[in-house]
Amino acid sequence: MPDMIKSPADLKTAPFDARFPNQNQTRHCYQSYLDFYRCQKVRGESYEPCNYFKRVYKSLCPNEWVDKWDTQRAEGTFPGRI
Amino acid sequence: MNYNNNNHPFHLVDYSPWPLTGAIGVMTLVTGMIKWFHEFNLNLLMLGYLIVILTMYQWWRDICRESTFQGKHTIKVSKGLRWGMILFIMSEVFFFLSFFWAFFHSSLSPNIEIGMMWPPMSIITFNPFQIPLLNTIILISSGVTVTWTHHSLMENNFSQAIQSLFITITLGIYFSIIQSYEYFEASFTIADCIYGSTFFMATGFHGLHVIIGTIFLFICFIRLLNYHFSNIHHFGFEAAAWYWHFVDVVWLFLYIFVYWWGK
Repeated sequence: MPDMIKSPADLKTAPFDARFPNQNQTRHCYQSYLDFYRCQKVRGESYEPCNYFKRVYKSLCPNEWVDKWDTQRAEGTFPGRI
Repeated sequence: MNYNNNNHPFHLVDYSPWPLTGAIGVMTLVTGMIKWFHEFNLNLLMLGYLIVILTMYQWWRDICRESTFQGKHTIKVSKGLRWGMILFIMSEVFFFLSFFWAFFHSSLSPNIEIGMMWPPMSIITFNPFQIPLLNTIILISSGVTVTWTHHSLMENNFSQAIQSLFITITLGIYFSIIQSYEYFEASFTIADCIYGSTFFMATGFHGLHVIIGTIFLFICFIRLLNYHFSNIHHFGFEAAAWYWHFVDVVWLFLYIFVYWWGK
């Protein structure tokens, strides 16, 4: 459920991750995507804390990339290890 | 007849057509390569190969004549040739360095497009403890046998020099045969993502250098059988041995980083 943005205080984005300190956050996005689906695989789909990773990648990743990766996962051609 | 009317120990070479034919040859070769790429026609490339090979044969034959038969290679000349060979091998080191750079660039921080993993998913790598290990043993052994040849030469042990050089060449050929079998049996090709590219560029050029080194050693073998070398003057052989050790070292780097670490 998308949070309602009522004031500037509601604006949020992914927190600083020391593993990815530089301007190029590509790997941060990708790693979060991987981590969400790995978390889901290990803990099950109803495990709420996994959604942390989902919020991170939804915030950081271009939507086109997410769509492409979702399609690849569906087709079994996703190159990452989940 | 007194050839050296010089007040110096250096070799001022006689006029020779081979530098010119060599230049014409390599120009024909690379132009022929482009013609092959664009028009699928091999004729010019084959002509280029022919001119280059004829140049190499005749130029190096002339060097053997000038040194072994005419005695033009003084110690100073030999030292100059040593530096030349060292510099050439250094340039080859940098050549291989570029392929290793490409390999490490791609493998140390793999791109997201290949899943941030190395080797990329679905690439079935070679088991480093099977045939690649055999190849490593073969090349290291050939390094031992070529050193045996050198010591035999220096000790005037002609029969052992022939035996050990023969074994060295045989091991080199054995390596090439086994490696080409591996290439044939590989589950991936050069077109299979960056793994295939880096693997085949690095090992491919290495294989080419093994073949070149084997031919160099074989020429030394022929010269040895024809008594060209003395126990104190055999730089042609030493150059071949240095080149062979260089090829061996490159293989060790390939084995450790591409085959073993990279699996």
